[in-house]
Amino acid sequence: MSDGYYGRPIVKPPAWTDLIPTYFFAGGLAGTAATLAFAERTARNDRLARTMIFGAAAGCAVSAFCLIADLKKPERFINMLRVVKPTSPMSVGVYIFSAFSGSVFIAAGSEVTGIARPAGRFFEAIAGLIGPVMSVYTAVLVGDTVMPAWHLPRKTLPGLFAATSAASAGAWGLLFAPSRDSGSARRLALVGGTAMVALLQALHHEIGAVQAQAYSKGEAGALARSARLLNIGGIVCAALAKNSNALSKIAGALLLAGGLTERFAVYRAGCASAKDPKYVLESQKANSASSPV
Amino acid sequence: MSDFIDLTSAAAESATYGADERDRMGFFTDTTLCIGCKACEVACKEWNQLPADGYEFTGESYDNTKELSGNTWRHVAFVEQMEPERDTGRWLMESDVCKHCTHAGCLDVCPTGAIIRTEFGTVVIQDDICNGCGYCVVACPFGVIGEKQEDHTMGKCTLCYDRLKVGEQPACAKACPTESIQYGVVDELRGRAEKRLEKVQHKFEGAQLYLNDRNDGIGGGGSIFLLLDKPQVYGLPPNPIVPTKNLSQRWRTAGIAAGALLGAVVLCAVARR
Repeated sequence: MSDGYYGRPIVKPPAWTDLIPTYFFAGGLAGTAATLAFAERTARNDRLARTMIFGAAAGCAVSAFCLIADLKKPERFINMLRVVKPTSPMSVGVYIFSAFSGSVFIAAGSEVTGIARPAGRFFEAIAGLIGPVMSVYTAVLVGDTVMPAWHLPRKTLPGLFAATSAASAGAWGLLFAPSRDSGSARRLALVGGTAMVALLQALHHEIGAVQAQAYSKGEAGALARSARLLNIGGIVCAALAKNSNALSKIAGALLLAGGLTERFAVYRAGCASAKDPKYVLESQKANSASSPV
Repeated sequence: MSDFIDLTSAAAESATYGADERDRMGFFTDTTLCIGCKACEVACKEWNQLPADGYEFTGESYDNTKELSGNTWRHVAFVEQMEPERDTGRWLMESDVCKHCTHAGCLDVCPTGAIIRTEFGTVVIQDDICNGCGYCVVACPFGVIGEKQEDHTMGKCTLCYDRLKVGEQPACAKACPTESIQYGVVDELRGRAEKRLEKVQHKFEGAQLYLNDRNDGIGGGGSIFLLLDKPQVYGLPPNPIVPTKNLSQRWRTAGIAAGALLGAVVLCAVARR
């Protein structure tokens, strides 16, 4: 008699749709894009700042759509705002996202219309400061679940989300700003892209060989391998792209695609680690052996 | 219990009812008495007016219910442990239900406050508040919660909150013909479970209590079980842990990552030319 009950899952995989990994991508990009916009504004590179605050606004618009459309009762989205719950990363996240996207929309609106410039700049700064939290909090949100592939990489998952966000935001700058203005975006794409590839390896190491199979097998594995190819291609192009508009655009497109694919790889890994009970059983065996609960 | 400082718990949450607070109520499911009649499943469906699951035939012993879900709040598991010749063996049956955890992951993560701790210390989803975000589904260490397809909110056992309110026992316990499902004050049920284990453990190889330990990863269950084999044999997690444990540590790590991200952006911006 083997362990387990007819091979059925012990925990339920998410009832979410693909809008959720899409949100992780768009929200992560928006967060870091706003931070780069603020940094570039401060450094008086208005051209790139403008591109980046528009990128943040686009990311926020996609995020808001994804978050609400994924609810099974979207008309009750407002119920999220009736409580503040520190024990719920989604509750905390709703307020982070609301403050962030509100600031971004004011800043981007002011940038487009020229109305209320000082207020626009002020909210651009606020968005820039909230940005990194916006980019990373989703790692806490998925970490605070019983999906082994999300719950176990406590140390590396936030870093992976930060790196993916940096690569995506940098890629946005490469894609939509002229290469003579997008130096900072190029550097950010290089740093983020490299860190993303490295941290996924570190994540495998953190959770161990058995648990890492959720990331390396099946659909998640195929996505992860595609993401790796896209990202490495993007990093190489970005490294060579100084002063080349064409190469910048190719690098930006590759890294954006790589970031999105990476988000889906992580999402599918979480689902896979719920569907096969071996992941839950293995993680709980390790618990009882080493650390009493 | 310092590991749980982040967390709210059954006692703290029920205490907010003040004078209306009641004894913590729960189930003791004694699988040595279960005959697999599924009266609990039917009574639950009837009382709570839950739609049927259809007529799928699984071939997995007598279990065509498969799992707990949004519309299935009792599930009888059937485990056949036969010798290869199938002439001798054991047939294990267990009526599974929401554990009404002391540290409830679903309640912790619910962003709308739809999931509450009642004055009976039980965990209930208010379906007029739930917006179907689905976070509770992935926060339950037991895979109890699912979507109710017809009204798109999340569903699970309420321990018949409406019946408790008027002094009745839950429908499943009332319908159980063998007292395999016993309803009562959780502290008393714990004692009853220990006595029962003492009595039967020499007769049943592998008899063990499940979720009766207040120091386990969920702070003990409001539903406790006497099982005849390891929990995973019944599809239960052997060592469940509320996901919210160590949440503040997760935020700290995320804070470091966010700080590093901010630093990286600033460095990339100042490194120009």
